[in-house]
Amino acid sequence: MHSNQTRREWLLTTAAGLAGSTLGRAAPAPASPVAVARCKTYTPGELLPAMQKMFDQLGGLERLVKGKTVACKINLTGSPTYRLGYLPLEDTHYTHPQVIAAAAHLMSKAGARRIRILESPWSTADPVEEYLLRANWEPHDILGAAPNVEFENTNYLGRAKKYSRLTVPFGGYIFPAFDLNHSYEDCDVFVSIAKMKEHATAGVTLSMKNCFGMTPCTIYGTGAGVDEPSDVPKGGRTLVHSGNRQPSKSAPAEKDPKTPRVDTWRVPRTVVDLNAARPVHLAIVEGIKTMTGGEGPWIREDLKAVAPGVIVAGLNPVNTDAVCMSVMGFDPMADRGTPPFERCDSTLKLAEEAGLGTRDLNRIEVIGTPIAEARFDFAGMRQRRRSAPVPPMGIRG
Amino acid sequence: MIAPWTPMRWPDAWTDPSCLDLLQGAAIDYLLIGKGEVLGPVRTRAQQAGLHVTDPDTAPAGVAVVKGEWPGVQMARGGGAAQARGGPTGVPWVDSNGWLIRLESALHPECSIWVDARPAENARIAAGSYLVAVADSASHGGRWILSLDGQLAAGLHAQNPQALDTWKRVTAAAGFFAARKNWPGYSPVGVVGVVSDFAGQNEFFSRELLNLLDRAGQHYRILPKDAATDSSFASLHALIYIDADPPAAALRKQMLTFVETGGILITGPKWGEVPGTPAKADEHPRYSWRALGKGRIALAHEDPDDPYLWANDSVVLVSHRYDLVRFWNGGATGSYYTMAPDRKQAVVHLLFYANRGPDSASVRVAGRFRGVKAWTVDGPLKVEMESQKDAVEVHLPQVSQYVALEVTPAVLRRSHKRVEYHA
Repeated sequence: MHSNQTRREWLLTTAAGLAGSTLGRAAPAPASPVAVARCKTYTPGELLPAMQKMFDQLGGLERLVKGKTVACKINLTGSPTYRLGYLPLEDTHYTHPQVIAAAAHLMSKAGARRIRILESPWSTADPVEEYLLRANWEPHDILGAAPNVEFENTNYLGRAKKYSRLTVPFGGYIFPAFDLNHSYEDCDVFVSIAKMKEHATAGVTLSMKNCFGMTPCTIYGTGAGVDEPSDVPKGGRTLVHSGNRQPSKSAPAEKDPKTPRVDTWRVPRTVVDLNAARPVHLAIVEGIKTMTGGEGPWIREDLKAVAPGVIVAGLNPVNTDAVCMSVMGFDPMADRGTPPFERCDSTLKLAEEAGLGTRDLNRIEVIGTPIAEARFDFAGMRQRRRSAPVPPMGIRG
Repeated sequence: MIAPWTPMRWPDAWTDPSCLDLLQGAAIDYLLIGKGEVLGPVRTRAQQAGLHVTDPDTAPAGVAVVKGEWPGVQMARGGGAAQARGGPTGVPWVDSNGWLIRLESALHPECSIWVDARPAENARIAAGSYLVAVADSASHGGRWILSLDGQLAAGLHAQNPQALDTWKRVTAAAGFFAARKNWPGYSPVGVVGVVSDFAGQNEFFSRELLNLLDRAGQHYRILPKDAATDSSFASLHALIYIDADPPAAALRKQMLTFVETGGILITGPKWGEVPGTPAKADEHPRYSWRALGKGRIALAHEDPDDPYLWANDSVVLVSHRYDLVRFWNGGATGSYYTMAPDRKQAVVHLLFYANRGPDSASVRVAGRFRGVKAWTVDGPLKVEMESQKDAVEVHLPQVSQYVALEVTPAVLRRSHKRVEYHA
């Protein structure tokens, strides 16, 4: 906890601590408690007390957010016109609005001065509120959760005059620093509110992978400007996935353009770089309802909507994601070649080696519902799914 | 708009009058037959059979023929494989003649509109693409001049089973719309009104704006400025005025009255002096907001030069909150929402422009309804429906490229400029 420090002080001390470490160092990576709760529905009557209890178990929200500006990165991956079958996006691959609203409500109640909900919506500089409407959400459900809530689209420059440069304290695997929307710097507390899912490129997408979407596509996207950022984002982040080009020249380039141009190598490392550059103070991963088989309906697997009925929260994203992996039936110590990292590097292992946090469950205190009781067997479903033929796909947008 | 006939361009190679047998039971009742002597017997027998006949260069009285595009997803050739050509944000680029039919109809309300869009030379058109061609025009109140590609014409002449199957599907589509003669008389339901003369120096921009509003999923009404009356703006949320000259005094007054009673006006510097006061929340990078009465004016910082940007900006300036139709999993979609003159029935035309229809699309239609019926050109379609606040969401099974939703609005009550539905 860093409640007595300013954001800049905290960033500096974190940077100093990480700078003192080297990759593969002997000193153990940080460990913090992680809370697990069963929650079967998004009904506020069940969700709010469950989340309140988890935050209390982690030491209380007040210590973290009182008098602070809180930035919450949510997960609205893919186009809002893309659903898994007929299901609402929030029941499969978007962070559920009730979870976002509950978090905002509780933060406000705990004294947060301002709560900014951040996302870089697919290929647009439109206000996040407009994006939510296209998803069939009501933005007021979130804005009305507390008197001091606002949205910002971080896929471009947004409301600031310039991008914020956030440096990777340990030097970075791929990027030494990032140029991001100002909201990732102009906050005292940074929260990742993610959906519990598998991921086609990175194995899993949890609180750390959620931060991949911090990168503005005006600089890191398919249509990014060559010299300067483009005015509006166009397309996705092929640039980061495949390394087929560098970000706009105004932003820091990759450290070594000769490294593998393979997404399963690049994405996990970029995620770690981003998490180091913009440390997460509170990680919330909701798996009340979600999907198996990938991060969105565009993935060519036998995708299924599921209801694990679980929420995980922690003060360290690596620790939190490790507990999530175990809840999902995966081994957080798994390395490349082992599910869910059959084809990719483990973001958790890379993060641990960078000193961001441990993935060793023996070192993480799990509070609330024991993992065994919260477990939902993504791993078993993955094994069965992958032993069956790939399903045919129709046209889904 | 009226559409009394279903036209077809007669293939020049069909010199044998027996080819007319193909039309038995079909809705096609107007043939455009070449002038050559060799087609004389066909012409004669067609007339004897009660069909209307004209030559391809002469539009019948009461019909305006417009030159259209072959509708559908534009394909680009790259890397040896056909790929959908992307629009500015990477979504597939769709060609549709809907806006053109509507514009012609707005400018010439007494005419039927026929669309002349022929298959490219040597093209082999799939049955689904023919369905798109028929439905794209007919759903917007016009008629596509049915024009066969060379291979289909030859196949039909040779009684090839596959060609006959395609023909059956094409004529079923034409028959579906011919049987619904009242639909072209339905009025468009819109969120915005585009006010222009659509001519001269305004022709390119205003026409392209209509095309791109369709692509942006915005529902609009076309308002030729010399025909605007006080009732022209009823039920609209916003007006777009982008002509190079300021509006005449009377029109200006009408539009500002619309704003004062709660509407939005989106315009540019050419409007002239803009009344009102600067709005508090003024964050748009390309527009300044001004408050006037109960409404607002979005004034562009610069003269319009990019209709794509204007179309998309206008959707956000008005807000997706007022979307009349939203699609999920539809792919390259289009929609046209129309209301019967007595306002007791609405038809929402849904178009899926890809080469095959979607497999699990959903569509949300704004409004409160007492009933919803879904149709494909082959007949009634069983759909799942979900009532939402002020909307209904319809879940479509695997469908082809066209679905019509016939909806019965609940009791209608007007409130200022907006139409609201109350149970």
